[in-house]
Amino acid sequence: MVLVVLFVAAVAASWWWTRRVENGSPGDTIAVYYAKTDGTTLVPWRVSLGPARDRKSVAFYAAAQCVAGPPPGTDAVRFPSGTRVLAVDVDGSTADVNLSRDVASSAEGGFAENAEFKELVWTLTQPSLKISTVRVRVDGARVATLPGGHLELDEPLTRSSF
Amino acid sequence: MNRSRVRVFSVVALAAACALSAVPRAGAAQQGAPALWFQGTRLIFAHAVPENGDLAVATSDPGLRKFLDKLGAVLSYAPGQRYVVVTSQDRRTIVFTAGDPSYTVAGVRARAAFAPAPAGADVVLPFFALARALYVDAVPDGDETVLQPRIGALDVRTEGGKTVVTVRAAMPLVASTDGATPDKLRVTFIGQGSALAAERRAPGAQVDDITVAVGGSPRVPTTTLTIAAARGAEYRVVPAETPDAFTVVFEPRRLAYGAPAPATSAPQNAAAGGIPAYGAPPTPPPLVPGAGAAPGAVQREPGTMPSNAPGGTPASGQPAAPAGPAAVTGIDIQQGADDALVVRVALSAPASYEWHRLLDDRWYIDFTNTTLTLPGRDEQPSFGAVRSVRIRQTGSADAPSVRLAFTTTGDQQIDVAPMEDGLEITVRTAAAPADVARTGIGRAGPGAETALTEPQPSAAPGDELWKFTPAPGAANGSRIIVIDPGHGGADNGTAHNGLVEKNLTFDIAKRLRALLVAQGWIVRMTRDTDVDPVSAANLAKMHADGKPNPDDRAYLQTRCDVANLAHARLFISIHVNAAPVESARGTTFYWYKPQDAPFAQALERAVIPLAGTQDDGTQHANFYVIHHTTMPAVLIETAFVTNPGDVALLRQPAFLQSMAQGIANGVKSFAGSPQSSAVSER
Repeated sequence: MVLVVLFVAAVAASWWWTRRVENGSPGDTIAVYYAKTDGTTLVPWRVSLGPARDRKSVAFYAAAQCVAGPPPGTDAVRFPSGTRVLAVDVDGSTADVNLSRDVASSAEGGFAENAEFKELVWTLTQPSLKISTVRVRVDGARVATLPGGHLELDEPLTRSSF
Repeated sequence: MNRSRVRVFSVVALAAACALSAVPRAGAAQQGAPALWFQGTRLIFAHAVPENGDLAVATSDPGLRKFLDKLGAVLSYAPGQRYVVVTSQDRRTIVFTAGDPSYTVAGVRARAAFAPAPAGADVVLPFFALARALYVDAVPDGDETVLQPRIGALDVRTEGGKTVVTVRAAMPLVASTDGATPDKLRVTFIGQGSALAAERRAPGAQVDDITVAVGGSPRVPTTTLTIAAARGAEYRVVPAETPDAFTVVFEPRRLAYGAPAPATSAPQNAAAGGIPAYGAPPTPPPLVPGAGAAPGAVQREPGTMPSNAPGGTPASGQPAAPAGPAAVTGIDIQQGADDALVVRVALSAPASYEWHRLLDDRWYIDFTNTTLTLPGRDEQPSFGAVRSVRIRQTGSADAPSVRLAFTTTGDQQIDVAPMEDGLEITVRTAAAPADVARTGIGRAGPGAETALTEPQPSAAPGDELWKFTPAPGAANGSRIIVIDPGHGGADNGTAHNGLVEKNLTFDIAKRLRALLVAQGWIVRMTRDTDVDPVSAANLAKMHADGKPNPDDRAYLQTRCDVANLAHARLFISIHVNAAPVESARGTTFYWYKPQDAPFAQALERAVIPLAGTQDDGTQHANFYVIHHTTMPAVLIETAFVTNPGDVALLRQPAFLQSMAQGIANGVKSFAGSPQSSAVSER
C-alpha cells in the first residue's frame, strides 16, 4: 500500500513539474533591466518572485518592477515619478502594456524615453516569459509618440528596435 | 392585502434590506475600525474592516489612494493577475501576492496578519502592514489612532575612507542641526517618529556611535540623532537623493571634502615595460602631495572617464574639459575550449568600439578615443582558427584609437562579449551562417556591464565599409542634404535653465547650412522659421489611415518627406537632450537603419573632438524621423539642457559653431564632397 502511495505521489510530482516546465514558468527570480545614466549601459538585476507563477502575473510583476526601477541610490534612468502599470495582457508572444499618463513627461529629449522603453522591452522579452514583442498603450490609448517625443510607440517594440 | 401581496412585499423588503447592508457607505463601513488621522486629516475609507489586528482595505479604496498620494507612493494592480506592487517615493517596492500572507519590502520577506484576497476588480490588502513598509506606523492618541511618519532606515556605509550616513523617512524631512560641533552632529527631524534602535555603534568607520532619541507628541513627534565622529574626522551635510532622505558624510579632517581628485599623467599606464595579466587593476594614478595623498581621497565614480586635465577630474556638474581617453591596460590571449582563441582586453574606462568582418578572412575591432599603454603586439597562435593577432595604436593624437586585428582561416564564428572591466573576444571554428554579421558597435569597460547595441548586419563589403553606400530611393551622387532643426512653433521641445530646444536646434542648423553650402552641397531645411511644419496632404493621409495620433505622425512625416521627395543624400536631425538626472551629459548620435550606422559613427568621430562634449556614443533607436527617411539619417542630441556643464556650453555661440563645424566635418568624411558646386536652396 505504501509503495502504491509513493508511486502515485511520484507520478503526480513528475506531472506537475513537466507542466511547469512546459508552461515556461520562470524560476524564483526574474531579470529586470535598468539603463545607467550614461545612456549606453543596460544592467540586469534579479528580483524575487512571489508564489504566483502564471505568465500573466509574472509579466505584470516584471513590468511593474521595471517601472519602479532599481533600489534607491542606483545610477539609473527611471520612469517618471508616478508612472503606474495599469495592465499587462499577454497574447502569444506579444505583451500589451498599458501605462499611466505620467509616463508622457519622459519625452523630453531622446535620452530618457529611449532608455525607459529599452528597459521595459528588455525586461519583458527575457526568455522565461516567452515574449518577443511589446506593444505600448498610454492610459489605454495607442499613441504614435509621446507628446514631443521621438520614439515610435504605435509600432511593436522588440529588442532590435533599440 | 392578500397573502400573495404580503409575500411579494416581504421578499422585496428582505431584498432591499440585504442590498442596503451590502452597499458600503463612507464612514459607516469603518464601524469597528479605528479613526485614522494622517497629516492633520482623517482618512475616510469606503470600506475598512479590522482583521487579525490589521485593517482590510481594497486597492481602489479612496482612503488608501489618498494615503498613498500623500506619501508619493504608487500602486500598480490589474485584475486577472495576482501581484500588487507598491512603489514608495524613494523607489522601494512593496509586493503583495493575492492569496499569500507573506510580502516583500525591497526584496526582504515579511508576513502580514492575513493574506490579501481578490475582491472583484480589487485586492483587499493589510493596510497597517503596507503603512509600516512605507515608514508610517499607527500610534494611539486617546481614542483615536494617528498614522505617524517615521524615520525608517539608517544606512551607514564606509567607502574609500569616508563614512556616509543616510536617514530615510516616509515624508520630506525637515531637519535642524541644533548644538552641532565639528566632531559631533546633532540633528533633529520635526514631525518624524522613529523605528530605529536607540543606539548604534559603527566601529572601524569615521563614526563612533549614533544615538536616537524620540520626543514630541503622537501628532507632532520629533526624532533627534546624535552622531559622534571618530577621532580626527569631521562631517559635511550633502544634498540627498530625494527630499525624504538626509545624508551626511564623515571623513578625515585633513582632507577637505570636494578637493580635486588626484591628477593623473595621461594616459594611466599600468605596465610601462610589459603586459600585465588580464584583470589586474590599472595602476592607481600618482598622488598629488598634500590633499590627494591622504587616504579617503574622493574617488572617481565607476564608469566615468579619467581626466587628463591638470588638477584632476572637474567637479560633477561643472563645465568640463573634454573627456580624456580610455586606455587598454592589458591583453590576454588564451586557448579556450574546443581550440577556441579567447582574447581578453582590459580597459581602464568605458570605451566605444566597432568591429568589422572583411571578406578576405580579416576581422578587426577599433576602440575609439582609446590609448594603448602596452607595446604593439604580433602573435601567431599555434591552435584554432586564427593565423595571426595584431594590436596597434592607431588614429591621431587628437583622436587616438586602438585596433585589434585577426587573420582567420575562413569565415569563423567570432563572439564579442563585454565584461566587467573590458571585452572578451572568442574565435571558434564554425561554419559561418549565411547572414553573418559584418559589423557591430558597442561600449565596454568598467561600468559598462551590458552593451545595448547588438551587432548589425551590413552589406557593405571589404575595406569600403566607411564609404557612402547609396540608399534605396536616394539618388547616387545627389548633392542635396536635408537639415532638420528639431521642434518649432508651438512645439518648444525641452526647456530648462532658460534654454529652449527649438531655438538652439535652429541656431545650430543655420550655422551648419552655411558650412555645408561652402562645401558645395545643396541644403534644404525642414523649417527655416519658428514653425512646426506639417503638410495638409499628410494630415489628410494620416487621418484617413485610422492609426492613432494622426496629427503627431503628420508633423513628423512632413519632415521626412522633405528629404524623401528630394532624394536627398543625407538627413541630419538636430536636437537638444534633457534628462531627469542632472549628471547626464554629452552628445548622442542615434541611428535606425543599417545604412545610418556608419554615418552616425563618422559624425561621432568628427563632432566630439571639436565640440568637447562627453561622447555618449552612437545608439540604435526607433525614432520616427530616422526610421521613415530613405537615406542615411542621424538624429543628434547635441547636449543636455539639464546638465550645468552642458548648459554653459550651449550658452556659448562658439560652442554652437563648433557643433555645426563638427557635423560638417563628419559629412565630409562620410560622403566626401559633392561633384560640383552647389547653390543654397530653402
